[in-house]
Amino acid sequence: MPGLTRESNLNNSSLQPGTEEHIPPGRSLWADGIRRLRKQRLAVVCFWIIVFYLALAAFEWIAEARKWESPAFIRWNEIVGPSYQKPMVPYEWTTADGKTEIRREWMGTDFMGRSTFRRTLYGAKTSITVALCASLISLAIGVPLGAAAGYFRGWLDELIIWLISTLSTIPYLLLLMAFAVVLRDKTVFGLELRGITSVYLAMGLTSWVGICRLIRGEFIKRKESEYVLAARATGCSNARIIFSHLLPNVFHIIIIDLSLRFVHFIHAEVILSFLGLGETDKPSWGAMIDAARAELARDVWWEMTAATIAIFLLSLALNLFGDALRDCLDPKLRVD
Amino acid sequence: MKKRAVQVRLAASILLVLAACLPAGCRRRSDSSASERMVIRVPMFSKIQTLDCGNLTDVYSIGVASQIYESLYEYHYLKRPVELVPLLAEDMPDISEDHLTYTIRIRKGIFYHDDPCFPDGKGREVKAADFVFALKRIANVKYMSQRWTDWNGRIVGLDGFREYTKSFRRESDVDYSVEVEGLRALDDYTLRLKLTKPWPQLIWYLASAVTAPVPREAVDYYGKDIMYHPVGTGPFRLKVWERGFYIELVRNENWHGGTYPTEGEPSDWENGYLEDAGKPLPFADAIVYRIIEEFQPAWLMFLRGDLDIMQIFKDNFAQAVNPDTLTATPAMAERDIRLLVFDDPSVFWIGFNMQDPVLGPNKPLRMAVSRAVDRQAAIRLFFNGVHKVAHGYLPPGLEEYDPNIVHTDYAKYDPAEARALLQEAQRIHGGSIPPLTIAIPGTSNLDRQIGQFLQKYLADVGLQLRVDYMDWPTYLDGLNKGKLQIFFSGASPSIPDSLDMLMGFCSWNWGYGGNHFFYSNPEFDALYRQAEPMFPGPERTRLCRQMERIMLEDCPAVFLNHRVAIAIIHGWYKNAKPHEFSYNTAKYRRIDLEKRNRYKELLNELKKKSK
Repeated sequence: MPGLTRESNLNNSSLQPGTEEHIPPGRSLWADGIRRLRKQRLAVVCFWIIVFYLALAAFEWIAEARKWESPAFIRWNEIVGPSYQKPMVPYEWTTADGKTEIRREWMGTDFMGRSTFRRTLYGAKTSITVALCASLISLAIGVPLGAAAGYFRGWLDELIIWLISTLSTIPYLLLLMAFAVVLRDKTVFGLELRGITSVYLAMGLTSWVGICRLIRGEFIKRKESEYVLAARATGCSNARIIFSHLLPNVFHIIIIDLSLRFVHFIHAEVILSFLGLGETDKPSWGAMIDAARAELARDVWWEMTAATIAIFLLSLALNLFGDALRDCLDPKLRVD
Repeated sequence: MKKRAVQVRLAASILLVLAACLPAGCRRRSDSSASERMVIRVPMFSKIQTLDCGNLTDVYSIGVASQIYESLYEYHYLKRPVELVPLLAEDMPDISEDHLTYTIRIRKGIFYHDDPCFPDGKGREVKAADFVFALKRIANVKYMSQRWTDWNGRIVGLDGFREYTKSFRRESDVDYSVEVEGLRALDDYTLRLKLTKPWPQLIWYLASAVTAPVPREAVDYYGKDIMYHPVGTGPFRLKVWERGFYIELVRNENWHGGTYPTEGEPSDWENGYLEDAGKPLPFADAIVYRIIEEFQPAWLMFLRGDLDIMQIFKDNFAQAVNPDTLTATPAMAERDIRLLVFDDPSVFWIGFNMQDPVLGPNKPLRMAVSRAVDRQAAIRLFFNGVHKVAHGYLPPGLEEYDPNIVHTDYAKYDPAEARALLQEAQRIHGGSIPPLTIAIPGTSNLDRQIGQFLQKYLADVGLQLRVDYMDWPTYLDGLNKGKLQIFFSGASPSIPDSLDMLMGFCSWNWGYGGNHFFYSNPEFDALYRQAEPMFPGPERTRLCRQMERIMLEDCPAVFLNHRVAIAIIHGWYKNAKPHEFSYNTAKYRRIDLEKRNRYKELLNELKKKSK
């Protein structure tokens, strides 16, 4: 990042009168950001919570792809006890090989006798897959459009702004539901849009407006910067200026936006599943909450509780971490 | 519909119970102060489609319309086995020796509801010509009645009339005065039907609201809007219909009258069903139906005393029912709430589209699905263990039901055999079986649980199942057009005749005719043709059972369960004897107003007591 590090270091110069000039080694924006982040203990805890969820989702994903049967917690569809078994209450259970044993499920069982704990863990895979894919789709649409609008301006900018304004006028949830319904069970270029595929596509296609507007603003601001003028003076092409100079300089904004957007997508997935438009074949937190809604009347509280705690923890961690990341990476918000 | 069996959703099976136990309603603002008015209030869990009698197909619409319209005959309210008695007819029909001509005398002095479609708004007298008009209207192509298949090829000359109507652009252009040989009003009070061949089930159809008389004036006056303006002769008339929300029927002050039956089963005295014997009908001043699509609010309203009758669902079963005795729990009993438990002739199934390239030619695959599904577990999970396993298709309660079917293994749960069958299926298919897709009508929690249940049990034997949860119209459209690969469905006979059910497997009834399996077996068809003109008897029973076995061997469906209906009623709701086939039972119901008005006090007393 030309100039920024030196300038920053000069401002914090350790020059002492009467001593030999000493310039400490420079730090990149990222290195500096990570250094600041590590000082915030809460952010570090949140980071590890997020890592845990991501690792869990990745493990579930690999286990399913490779059809692993163990460890036990990945067998979310296995009947492990009677219907609606209460958490931590011992029960007698006859296994498939005829052995009778005393068991206890610490998050209880669902209507079919499947472990709520295992289903909650699997729900992490559903939510994170949706959030990740939707984020990537929205970035893939929003960032190039925002960059093009901000850099080239003119009719292209007007066209993109018109598109942004039009989409912004439609209430997000309605737009999301409309896309989810339209995309559901369709085949596009040979890809069958079932279950979560249609969910993350719907989310990705409807949520790029925010990042697009942000990137456009940044590009407008930065396209007249010295380093861009210098690049242009040396004969760099527009593509090179955009991809090699401007984008790396706004990348921290994309990362911050991504971390906050992730939470939003997880919530959206829960809402869609709750409304019956999300994952129907496999466990998801939204579907679990939706199912638990009717079961609360018969005092089956554990499914709702398990899914809610899982969402709460991940949302909280992502929110806190996202805020911390913004504080550390955004030069305007930096506070030492 | 050619098929007599009315398709019903599992989740909405409720209405049949409510229809059997009576019409629906619950209360509105105006009813809360109506403690002196006898208002029957029952919930309805689905919207009704129409109140035009010539196009009634779903049980919800029939349930409401049957209080407004009247037909020639009706079921005796108390007698079992079911028996028909005259309603608008003077007496039972005169049937010729060859069973081809029915002569029916119509009662004099029957008047339609007062309605603006009549001069001066006063309902006119019913004539035999109105019955002729109603049936011709069903035959009119431009009217597009879904009940035409009931009559297709039955009445001499009626098919010709249908052909004649094809030349017109609109329903109203058709000249109904064109003579139909087999359908004539000999005079104002005599109707004659001539059949192309003996049709023993005809008499049952004449007890349905679908065959009610229709005044020509109403059709001309309202046009297509007649579905919102039913003009009948029944004890109630439509006052308010707010679509998808609220229906109110009020007493027809000009009703020709009727009295509560004085005869019934021996147990009817004991159960209090004959306390009102001989009293004039109807008892209620109004019936209020409110559409409540969520079960839980309806249940809470019932407990609060705002509904008179309610269906038991799996989520309120434990609260309301003692599972060992199938009686009300003490908590319900102290509120003077009791249960009505009765066998409802119905069957639910997982149907296969026999024209599907994967399923159709692969019987081992269909059988593998059948062996993979644990019916007992399904009944335990979804119906509190109360329903009965369906070993065959024909439900208990029908004369042709075969009691020995329980000794067969059509309903066997055997995952090991299912896996073996699946291997054979893969050999026939020429590779692994692709994921199968089942359509489930509905998106409720119960529907999703059923979907997950089937996925789980099929996955256990190595079959991948995808579930499409659909709304009812989309599902029906797919079902009729053969677009669904596998479908979750069920049926109740609309008349007490097994041929009504078996018709759903005849090859000439594919799609809209009711054969949603697109099943075809010449042997089955031939037996059906043989049994069709027969009157009930051992030979016909034998043929029906034989047909059932032929069809079960071909495995076009996995039959799951027969329903045992449980309705829950307040102590003030009187004369609530369930009837499996009759819908026009509202007129017999009575509310003990004193008891109902005291209910709030009772609740307060119970609250104090519990404190």
